[in-house]
Amino acid sequence: MTDEKIKIAIIGTGNIGADLCARLLKNPQFEVVAFVGRRSDSPGLIKFKDYVKFTIPTGVAGLLEISSDFDGFFDATSAFEHGRHWEVLKPLNKWAIDLTPSQVGLPMVPELIGVSDKFRIQKDTFANYSMVTCGGQSSAPLIHAISRNSEQVLEIEISSSIASKSAGPATRLNIDQYIESTENLTKLISNCEQVKAILVLNPADPPVMMRTTVHAKILRYDLVAIKEEVKLITNKIKNYVPGYDVVVEPYISSLNTVSTTVKVTGAGYYLPSYAGNLDIINAAAVETAMRHTETIRGKPIGF
Amino acid sequence: MDSKLHLYDVTLRDGNHALRHTLNSKFVSDYCKIADNSDVWAVEVGHGNGLGASSFLVGKSSEKDIELLTIARSNLTRTKLAVHAIPGFATIKRDLLPALACGVDIFRIATHSTEATTAQKHIEFLCNRDATVHGVLMMSHMNDISGLISQSKLMQSYGAKAVILMDSAGYFLPNDVHERVDAIKNALDIEVGFHAHNNLGIAISNAGQAIQSGASIIDGASMGLGAGAGNAQLENIVSTGIRNKSINVDISKFLEMSQKVESEYPDKLPLVTSSSIQSGMAGVFSGYAPQVKLISEELGINPQNLWEEISRRKLVAGQESMVREIAQDLMNL
Repeated sequence: MTDEKIKIAIIGTGNIGADLCARLLKNPQFEVVAFVGRRSDSPGLIKFKDYVKFTIPTGVAGLLEISSDFDGFFDATSAFEHGRHWEVLKPLNKWAIDLTPSQVGLPMVPELIGVSDKFRIQKDTFANYSMVTCGGQSSAPLIHAISRNSEQVLEIEISSSIASKSAGPATRLNIDQYIESTENLTKLISNCEQVKAILVLNPADPPVMMRTTVHAKILRYDLVAIKEEVKLITNKIKNYVPGYDVVVEPYISSLNTVSTTVKVTGAGYYLPSYAGNLDIINAAAVETAMRHTETIRGKPIGF
Repeated sequence: MDSKLHLYDVTLRDGNHALRHTLNSKFVSDYCKIADNSDVWAVEVGHGNGLGASSFLVGKSSEKDIELLTIARSNLTRTKLAVHAIPGFATIKRDLLPALACGVDIFRIATHSTEATTAQKHIEFLCNRDATVHGVLMMSHMNDISGLISQSKLMQSYGAKAVILMDSAGYFLPNDVHERVDAIKNALDIEVGFHAHNNLGIAISNAGQAIQSGASIIDGASMGLGAGAGNAQLENIVSTGIRNKSINVDISKFLEMSQKVESEYPDKLPLVTSSSIQSGMAGVFSGYAPQVKLISEELGINPQNLWEEISRRKLVAGQESMVREIAQDLMNL
């Protein structure tokens, strides 16, 4: 039934917004009602103008005029802009999914819903979910597995490397916010205050696939159980991020940390497969929108 | 001393790689006391990968950057205090603000040679607070000359007062240095600096070439103390500069600094080992040496194969955690 589709707006026409648009246009559960940029010559807007009902080149104010046409919106601009967008759109009483590291909303890692009590879907239409960062989404399951199977996390570190070509101007300007919000998510999952996040951009051509490594100093842990849990969660994530693979299984490093590395290969909606960082955050955002809609409708999508 | 030539001492920063980040405040204090009476223009202090880089990934510092900076600050009156900071490791709030408060004179904001845009926020933030900021392009052999010019221009446009080319893998030959320094010098309005590594045994020649080609900031370390095969030996930049009349300073304090390093760290002095030659020829960041050594020994594989594969995959500084995955792949071939 078409009227059961989740009607959404996407703000931001850069790499993340364009990938999200391409992805949702292919998803039968969604209808992309509006695609919002700030310039009429933005390549993202031009590319999708025949496929989206409203392409709006004048910023978020344009959404106020069509507010009855959509259920919620995704913000793929920058950490600096999300706060402002949220202020403008808040009165509409809709849900927002924030793909910037602004930390305005509640952090959300969809595969941990029901597994960790720290991630809950709001029961109200009005909500703001923060997807944190690609480093956060890719490390969260590993941090969860490590924390759950040890008595205490003393110190934990997340380092990610991504292809330069997948990092647009907002990501580059937001690098401090990226670090801060990844660290805050790490603290939330691990209950540990000693955290560090690192981001490295690699310009190699052909571009590199995203890698995220977790190093954790932990007390009284069960390595076998950690390995099992990582395997379990990985299989779950693969339902919506098929390119999520553990490339170095949890092991005890020479630094006496438990360490593990995942590789994220993108599904290739807008940018090619090297953009696993976009894939994982966008896939998580879509999953969050589905879970939220299911919760407020009180029934599975499509029924 | 030629007022236009600045001798920039990285012993207490790049040297921290050779010390596996165990530099302590006592040594910083002793060293800075000598440096302050020398013709060294600036002393750079901190973790080998710069402020905020202490980590499992690239090595934990035994003392915090801010402790080392504070003790250095209290011992420097003439010579400037400088730091190196890489966006992605260091943040404005956690690392740059405390360094500003501590009274650091020169901030070097460093990126991989193609990623200058990641430094815009940090450079602009510091310039707005009237700090002296220099941009650094690391692993400069991984970009071509026109690319280095455009990246340098970006750093200049953000407010950097100098741009430093780092030959982080010790890959360049003197002519490579000449072409790059000369081209950037001609394209930019700000100062140009050069930072050599000694993987191929020619760090001093490369530093000397940079001076001849118009670089006005020259990096060196006492005893060459630095990552991998080490940096250009500062006292030999001076000795050769005196011989060809490009430098006019009293060498005695430089020799005293050198003796200080030699006597304190006799077993940490860098050597041009077969591993550093492999990393230099492969163009891989010198800082990978400890990881390559550790993992090739642990998994029983030939380090040369590992260096070559790291090079083939074009790893940049900060991807140390990939060495294990690459080694595993080599074993599964």
